[in-house]
Amino acid sequence: MAAVNPGERLLIVGQSVMLLLLYIFLYFPIFYVVYLSFMENNVWPFPPEFTLDHYALLESMSDFHEGLINSTLIGLGTGALSALFACLAVVGLLKYRSRFRAALIVLYMSPLFVAHILIGISTLMFNRGVLDMPGNIPSTILANTTYGVAFAFLVILAQLLRYDWRLDEAAMVFGARPARTFWEVTLPNTWPALLGAFLVSFILAFNNLDISFYNLGAIPTLPTIAWGTLRHGVKPELYALASIVNALVFLILITLYFLLRTGLVKLGHRD
Amino acid sequence: MSQVEAVRTSPLGRLWMNRNLRFACLTLPGAIFILLFLVAPLMSIVVFSFWRTESYNLIAEWNLDNYRVLLSDPTYLTFLWRSTVMAVAVSLISLVYAYPVAYLIAKHGGRYRLILVLLTAAPFLTGIILRVTAIQHILGPIGLINMALTTFGMEPVEVLMYSNVASAIGLVYLWAPFMVLAIYLSLLNFNFELLEVAKVCGARPWRAFVEVTWPLNWMGTAIGIVLVFVPTLASSVTPRFLGGVDGALYGTILAHQFGATGTWALGSAMGVILFALSLIVILGIWRAVNLRRSGFTGEEA
Repeated sequence: MAAVNPGERLLIVGQSVMLLLLYIFLYFPIFYVVYLSFMENNVWPFPPEFTLDHYALLESMSDFHEGLINSTLIGLGTGALSALFACLAVVGLLKYRSRFRAALIVLYMSPLFVAHILIGISTLMFNRGVLDMPGNIPSTILANTTYGVAFAFLVILAQLLRYDWRLDEAAMVFGARPARTFWEVTLPNTWPALLGAFLVSFILAFNNLDISFYNLGAIPTLPTIAWGTLRHGVKPELYALASIVNALVFLILITLYFLLRTGLVKLGHRD
Repeated sequence: MSQVEAVRTSPLGRLWMNRNLRFACLTLPGAIFILLFLVAPLMSIVVFSFWRTESYNLIAEWNLDNYRVLLSDPTYLTFLWRSTVMAVAVSLISLVYAYPVAYLIAKHGGRYRLILVLLTAAPFLTGIILRVTAIQHILGPIGLINMALTTFGMEPVEVLMYSNVASAIGLVYLWAPFMVLAIYLSLLNFNFELLEVAKVCGARPWRAFVEVTWPLNWMGTAIGIVLVFVPTLASSVTPRFLGGVDGALYGTILAHQFGATGTWALGSAMGVILFALSLIVILGIWRAVNLRRSGFTGEEA
């Protein structure tokens, strides 16, 4: 690297301060809510007085368990469908040349550029007006899978760009049938990408508000419960709910990160 | 083909060896899914926007009333204008802040690059509603800032409680990570040695940025701008909880048509206008992307 002159060093210091401030801006509110969830007094919790009452309140909330189950179902369904569609698409697009390639990539990314409220209302209207189907968990899973596929596609594409497809060809040369090649060569080498895509779309659908709300109506999910609570002025159990969900999300992300970092899972071939 | 048929003689095997067919089998399921569950519903609201609603029911009578109301009643236009201004402001703030940060991570992050950039993206996964709750407890009337000020005998900052400024801060909080991510991914493939070349040729740092870094990364930057602009333009929850009574935006009113009032047809028309506006912005920015100067070779895979 070239010698760093004073002007450039100043720039790096300035940018580092901006990065640090961005982290504080992004994380301080989250940690403050977690802090509030353990506080007796939620308006001005200084000096701190610890309590677990809010978590007990959450436990006694009637629709909390139902919401948790529904959110988990939506997350699992969306995660599985998204990872499946995205995996097939990425493998197809990376392995084969086609004149439809660019168009397909645009199509797979397009859900990222549609606002969630539009996906929510349009699937609601489509289900009611065209399919004559009431909003339920399956229809919510399908609606969430639209943008889920886009995110899963990005995650898998980023990982599989480095995958060496000659491994598959080698297996075929040695006489493995396509199915066996998939199970014994492709899958063992690519599953971290699949898991990452599944987890990202799982978490996004689990926490989705706009799409789930319009599709489900009165059926509760954790985000719609949180939304309802927030509408009627903040209740302390909301802090507990937010803390639990935040903790879960970060736990999943940290696990995934260390899975990828340590040698436990390695991606295909690297130079 | 003949050589291939010798390898696989069964009819099924023969089908499998057809590369076009394999390509289709792999890429079409997801594509059809998106067409069926995203594109078709979006098309359906275009149809419904020309119908009318009567006591919570859609009635298939073709008319232009919804659009006439939306385009003549100044309230709707005001809200649309406010949302547009908000989306432009939030995108610009995010852009100005995210660029130096993404630049730092991409150029000097070294082996910590991935974790540094993922740390900016991770909060996005906790969902809109929990993030709005979190930022509300910093900014709102019982938020940390104003409670601290009043506790120490100072005047609370009015502008942080239920105002468009609070909404803007909340929206930057929600969507700026996308901008960092998009610009970072672009800079990751940018050859920083080009800047050394510019320096050798006598360009000052600012000139090198304007003439080399910015145009060559404009594609990623444009994607970042769109990823912030589109959800901000449609935001309904954030202005509701941070903007207060006078802070309602277009998305808030749109959401209202599908809730309390149950005017599905009018709501559909509002959705169509919102979608059309986002599309115009996307196409406008896309036209501004000069593919050749962006260093796009079409060989990214």
